[in-house]
Amino acid sequence: MTLSLSDPNWYPIASSEDLPFRHVYQGQLLGRELAVWRADDGNVNVWENRCLHRGVRLSIGINEGAELKCQYHGWRYANRSAGCTYIPAHPADAPARRIENRTYPVVEAYGLIWSAANDDKPFTPFPGAETGDWFALRPMPVNATPEAVLAGLAGLAPDDQPAQTLPGLAIRLGDTLYFVQPVDAGRSVIRGLLPGQPADTIVTLRHINETLTKLRDRLERAAARQPAPTPLQPVFERVSADLATMPDIAIPRGATMPVVVKRKWASADGVIGFELADRDNRHLPTFQPGAHIDVHLPNGLTRQYSITNGPGDLLSYVIGVKQESASSGGSKVLVETVREGDVLAISEPRNNFPLRRDATRTVLIAGGIGITPLLSMARFLDKSALPYELHYFTRADEQIAFRSELGALHGKVVLHTGLPRPQIADTIASALGTWRLAQHVYVCGPAAMLETVRSTAAAQHWPEEAIHFEYFKNDKTIDDSSSFEIELARSAMTLHVPAGKTILEVMREAGLTVPSSCEQGACGTCLTAVMEGEVDHQDVYLNDSEKASNSCMMTCVSRAKSQRLVLDI
Amino acid sequence: MSITLYDFELSGNCYKLRLLMSILKLRYDVIPIDFYPGRQHKSDAFLRLNPFGQLPVLQDDDLTLSDSGAILAYLAKKYDATGQWFPNDPAITAQVLRWHAVADDITATSSAARLALGMFYDVDLEKAQQGAHRIFRLMDEHLWFGEREGRDWLCSPAHPTTADIACFPYVMLSEEGGIARQDYPALRRWTDRVRRIPGFIVMSGIFPAGRALETV
Repeated sequence: MTLSLSDPNWYPIASSEDLPFRHVYQGQLLGRELAVWRADDGNVNVWENRCLHRGVRLSIGINEGAELKCQYHGWRYANRSAGCTYIPAHPADAPARRIENRTYPVVEAYGLIWSAANDDKPFTPFPGAETGDWFALRPMPVNATPEAVLAGLAGLAPDDQPAQTLPGLAIRLGDTLYFVQPVDAGRSVIRGLLPGQPADTIVTLRHINETLTKLRDRLERAAARQPAPTPLQPVFERVSADLATMPDIAIPRGATMPVVVKRKWASADGVIGFELADRDNRHLPTFQPGAHIDVHLPNGLTRQYSITNGPGDLLSYVIGVKQESASSGGSKVLVETVREGDVLAISEPRNNFPLRRDATRTVLIAGGIGITPLLSMARFLDKSALPYELHYFTRADEQIAFRSELGALHGKVVLHTGLPRPQIADTIASALGTWRLAQHVYVCGPAAMLETVRSTAAAQHWPEEAIHFEYFKNDKTIDDSSSFEIELARSAMTLHVPAGKTILEVMREAGLTVPSSCEQGACGTCLTAVMEGEVDHQDVYLNDSEKASNSCMMTCVSRAKSQRLVLDI
Repeated sequence: MSITLYDFELSGNCYKLRLLMSILKLRYDVIPIDFYPGRQHKSDAFLRLNPFGQLPVLQDDDLTLSDSGAILAYLAKKYDATGQWFPNDPAITAQVLRWHAVADDITATSSAARLALGMFYDVDLEKAQQGAHRIFRLMDEHLWFGEREGRDWLCSPAHPTTADIACFPYVMLSEEGGIARQDYPALRRWTDRVRRIPGFIVMSGIFPAGRALETV
């Protein structure tokens, strides 16, 4: 028999006992090296043993319980999907991309972990599998060809009770089953199963181990006299150039994907939870803590909602929606008309609120529905055992959303309920403390609260770059009294923007399709490069240095200070 | 007390002492010795300290000591108030010394292969690699049965000893000598455990392990 890289058969590649939580096991099947790890939810992952970044072995990575982290460059891959969740130095708001490590099929059964080189064949148990309470033996690696090892095992049978050959490099010797794991052309592992735990476990295990050790020594002496077979040569698919290069700051393309509302529930008084899942139960794209999705609503509006999920939690996105009685906009439609089972279009996740993972102390401050991005951040920090404090302000106890999720965190979570306004300021002041190097604060909540945090932090010597806000709304009054010309470089058009109309509206009237979302200068969807002219920024999306650079703008609210703007559209 | 370590940062044998002193929270000074490429451990000044011309050397006040295993035993006996790292029990002392001897075998094989590949030493690479595999097979078997018998460490106590420190570095650095640890799953799990000892520190080529899952 010649081993083939495309052999679709299932082979055992590890024992269940080889995979304690938070360990990464190194395996190999048909020449392909595997990183095998059990996540905290019990799921066993069988992945190609290399980080997509530089090919460093993932088996020297850290199993963080929900993600595997490469220790060389810090790339992280999520449990189950193997989606890359973190690329150091990438812009945090780079477009979500499906960068996924190669995974192999996996089944855990009979005390063994089984895998195959591809998905071509379903897993079928060995004959008689269902009858026993199987007990795995100590694996015995042998530097010899799989067929020689199988023949050697057959030779252990007594003359009056010959071995029974089973499909897939397996053999039955009396009650005992032996599987030969084809590691490579010249390397194998013998994996045995006993039907039930033996009476004196250690004595039995030692006895079989001794027998197999002698067999191994014999097989290896024989193999040393033969020419070594050529190792199998698995082909590593290259990561596409698109994925291997640094993406630009996000300019969303307006692409959407359909999701089904799997669950809708009252998470708290005034907060409705929605769980959104892929229609075919596939993994959703990875996201970063603080990221949001645009939800396209049945009435044509688009609204942003933060993803509350923790790391590697990709089978659905959970968002929280504030039930505002006065609201006539998007939230009202979601809360009142969208039901479980409905299909919504959402954007891929984007991040305007990136979390640093190099802080020595992170303070998260949430007011009301502002808990949603901070819950995601807290879950990431929690899994990575980084120090953080989460302060959650609500008016009443019934308004505390995601209570059980908060209860599952190990870090410091402090609920501040029903505080009078002056006391809120004092509480924020003591939560912040005085600033020290590498401390960061993230705040999301009502505008008044953002202002309190900003002024308090400044008073306590927190530098601007250590204070991070999430704006859901642009509260500024937009001055649209100017009029000017825009020249659209790619479309070869010159348009006049009169007072009272936005650049976006004028472009649309001229027949252009341009993406937009919030239309109030808060979300970043309509970000456009500026080639010439002086911009009158009125958004809250760009920071001061981006505004000063005069190289980009939001076409939904920004205007021109000069007579003419040349845009890269 | 004033401890000084004559140290080469990339030496696993020096790292053993830094590791134990970190675990025992000892303060010490370092005098760097340029083992490679400077060969300062063969200089006259160094040979006066240690005529065997080997790192590490440790000075504790007026006392000058050499040999990493001997120094591990000294530090544990002198500075470990718990008495766990080098227990007084005669049978356990024998076990610890047995594994100190294995540690020297690992140095003679795995470390030699690393010196050949990384520092251009003239050694029989294939023989060194084969020797390391022979020891790793025995260690994997010892540790695998240990796990079945409720023993997490090389010696029988329920806590690590200097035996674990002595054997650890050149197991972890074996890949630098072209010696894969794929065939030794129990050995790999033991290295996870060593890397989770409170006070663990890294050296070049030795990464931390992830936190163990707290199942309390």
